[in-house]
Amino acid sequence: MRTDVQIAICGSAGEGTIAAGDILRSALAAAGYRIISFDAYPAEIRGFGKCVARLRATTEQVYSLKEKSDVLVCLNDEYGIPQVGEVRDFGAVVYEAKSITTLAAGAHLSAHLRPAQIPYPVAIRELSERATGATRSRNLVALGFLAGLYGLGVDPFLRIIDAKFKNKGAIAEPNRKAFVAGQQAGSQAFKLDLVSFGQPSAGQKSTILSGNAAVVQGCLDAGIDTFFGYPITPATTIMERLAVEMPRRAKRLVQTEDEISAIAAVIGAGYTGARAATATSGPGLALMSEMLGLGTMAEVPCVIFVSQRGGPSTGIPTKTEQSDLNMAIYGSPGDAPRIVIAPTNVEGCYRCAGKAFEMAERYQSPVIVLLDLYLSNRYETVVMPAAPPFEVDGDRLASKKELGPGYRRFALTKDGVSPRALPGMVGGMHVVTGLEHNEMGRVNEQPDNHEAMSRKRHDKLLHALHHPDFTQVKRFGDEGRVAIGLLAWGSTFGECLAAMFRARTEGVRCAAMKVVMMSPFPVEAVAEFIDQCDVVLVPELNYQGQFAHLVQAQTGRTVRRYNRVIGAPMPVEEIQAQMRALLAGDERKAA
Amino acid sequence: MSGPRRHVIIGTGVAGNQAAHTLRQREPDGSISLLTLSALPFYNRYDLPKVFRGIHDWRGFLVDPPSHYEEQRIELRRCTRVVNVDAQRKVVVLAHNEELPYDTLLVASGGRAYLPEELSEFRDLLDGFSSFEQAMAVQRKLPQGGRVAILGGDMIGLDLARTLLDTGHRVVLFAGKFTFWPHTEPPDQRVKLLDVLERMGVQIVDAEGRGGIASIQAGAAGFATRRVVLGDGTEFPADVVLPSFGLVPSVEFMLGSGVAIERGLLVSPTLRTSDASIMAAGDVCQIWSDEHKRYRFYYGWKNVRSMGELAARNLTGEDEPFVPVQDESLHEHDGTVIHSPFWEYA
Repeated sequence: MRTDVQIAICGSAGEGTIAAGDILRSALAAAGYRIISFDAYPAEIRGFGKCVARLRATTEQVYSLKEKSDVLVCLNDEYGIPQVGEVRDFGAVVYEAKSITTLAAGAHLSAHLRPAQIPYPVAIRELSERATGATRSRNLVALGFLAGLYGLGVDPFLRIIDAKFKNKGAIAEPNRKAFVAGQQAGSQAFKLDLVSFGQPSAGQKSTILSGNAAVVQGCLDAGIDTFFGYPITPATTIMERLAVEMPRRAKRLVQTEDEISAIAAVIGAGYTGARAATATSGPGLALMSEMLGLGTMAEVPCVIFVSQRGGPSTGIPTKTEQSDLNMAIYGSPGDAPRIVIAPTNVEGCYRCAGKAFEMAERYQSPVIVLLDLYLSNRYETVVMPAAPPFEVDGDRLASKKELGPGYRRFALTKDGVSPRALPGMVGGMHVVTGLEHNEMGRVNEQPDNHEAMSRKRHDKLLHALHHPDFTQVKRFGDEGRVAIGLLAWGSTFGECLAAMFRARTEGVRCAAMKVVMMSPFPVEAVAEFIDQCDVVLVPELNYQGQFAHLVQAQTGRTVRRYNRVIGAPMPVEEIQAQMRALLAGDERKAA
Repeated sequence: MSGPRRHVIIGTGVAGNQAAHTLRQREPDGSISLLTLSALPFYNRYDLPKVFRGIHDWRGFLVDPPSHYEEQRIELRRCTRVVNVDAQRKVVVLAHNEELPYDTLLVASGGRAYLPEELSEFRDLLDGFSSFEQAMAVQRKLPQGGRVAILGGDMIGLDLARTLLDTGHRVVLFAGKFTFWPHTEPPDQRVKLLDVLERMGVQIVDAEGRGGIASIQAGAAGFATRRVVLGDGTEFPADVVLPSFGLVPSVEFMLGSGVAIERGLLVSPTLRTSDASIMAAGDVCQIWSDEHKRYRFYYGWKNVRSMGELAARNLTGEDEPFVPVQDESLHEHDGTVIHSPFWEYA
């Protein structure tokens, strides 16, 4: 039986909502289901604000979360009540059976259930107290109830609970007990909802990773030598994970005093030939922009992971957005080209992370890997390659012949990539400066030189459009001419793909193209795609339509935009509605 | 009084559901809350024997689709237990600690299956059949051709017996004073009716004549899961044991409300209780009968539905008395068929 179940767990910060989601997705992944999950949480650390952990467990490949959940677990009525609407008809709502305070009319969650939703009031607090003597394991009780209700195997849950809490003192055992108490209650409940789990599909062994965890694995598999960073949501977990893993590999990670120091140190390390990286978000990228220009000017390989969040300024730190594309591509003084790549899913995070080091070395350039909060925090089951698929050394180092008194670090070569000398290489002495320079690296402000060097810095990057084993763009759906095409980048592509597949089931000839290489831009491939579509829709999570601007500027073709800044993934249904409106020629409904 | 009225109805059986719909028709602006212990919207409990005919999806028992409540703007509060009615404050107190104010309250909580005191210690070995969940539990428990022991044999239980026989199961009826409840049949008629049941395939056991039901025992491994033990020591194996002793009104939450209660809520012919804001309808109430000069219950789907409709009408300006709409007599035809008005619904 095919499985496609989306579960949302809602509670207040500090109630263990995200932890419950984490255990659930890990257990279901361990059981063999494919998982895609994404958590929404407030900016505050604890005690305030709503947390929602959502996961979709399937036996088939899916590309996005569903708009409607099949099951909602509410640990907190105040926050749970607004979420009830996300549960589909004949789906389940699990909630605390009894309040400990007297509630005004309508303040209990049961007052907000739609008649087609199936209520499961559970004495969550009481079960936790009975099992553990305290109420703080309510999240585990709720999780156990789900396991019991849907007949999910208990062992994966207990293994994951043990692993998760093994270093947290004596709380593993109470959490186990709470889970078991909930599981027993769930197994005794009469299941009335129309949600069911079939057998997971037996297939390749998969791993469940978040986007940021995949980035970390990509860095490690690509042989990262050093990392400098400053914490910022939603990129922090990249540094946190690397801080654990790099020392085990005798590699160094330094938390610097700010983002400017971080990028400066990365450029310094890159200059020495080390594979160096940093990770930040939009505000951090803004601080790094001047030094990034140095990276371009000095042609230093370096990798910057940027996970976008709601902006501008401090913005909405814990909500997703795709509004740093312009800054990633253009955000430096002067004409400062750099490579910008944007993965569309968790597996892409892994590949882009590793390939970023290759490209940085091969094209002697900063490479920005542009993520967003939805992708950074999204978990998916991925099949990891048996061996790291990354080139461990892509440096175009100067040969003995090129070194010596006449060594030209910035030689104007056919492909624009100059022979690089690392510090200490005999005969490799040269000048490096942020000022415009000649082939030797010496300051030169002459117009002809500036034009030649600008051309060099731009043209060498065009070769990245043919970088081996790297997917620049990929088309899905119908071949040839189609009625409508979706052009998307980053995390939104999954929703676009889901919308495209749904449209095809409605008989619409359509296709979707993901664009991973944002700079340099794959003009020909994108233009060809646009030319094969009667109309092209570009959905993205920013207000300005930054990618649509880029596409139009680069290709000279017109596309239709659909922009949302809702702090959450683009709803598939909205993309479908836009497609329908465009296909019907209804300009008013099409945004 | 200003603003739309808040009507609260306790119970989503035939009476409560009918009252809600009639109220909505007659008072478009009022708020209507229907409270029920059930997790499901109103469904036809009379149809529950159909679980043995392959209907296992609860949606197949719904009287109205779930969307109907939203369309009618009827708030349906499921899994909601009322623990108290504070008639002075006009507040219904719910078990989960919520207080629900009302302008008018209609109690239509119906009745629950009655279990004689002497059998209460065996409760865990008995099955119910008054909800979809219980019906499905029995269906899952009962093997093909399995044996069902029906204790008492009220008309609800006998209706189930008919289906069980049709679907290849065996039925043992432990007859006694509750057999044919709520009908009260003279002894000669009762003998005839039991004969008919026997001809239909029901094994009749005169439990009262054999010392009554002494106990219910768990069966031994490899045998039927239950044993019904009579006072004379005789044992009868069964896969499922169903008590079928009629209904007792669900009025516990009304104790302390100040509303007059005998066995059920006592209401006037217009279904008004002793509290001006509270009415009652259905199996929960005893209606004053001028004819019988006493308060009495009126059972049956048609009567109950009529009460629900009347209560709503009287809540919205009318003042009409309840007039029974259902014949209460039990007949047998040709010695092979029993006809009860309580088996008629819809």
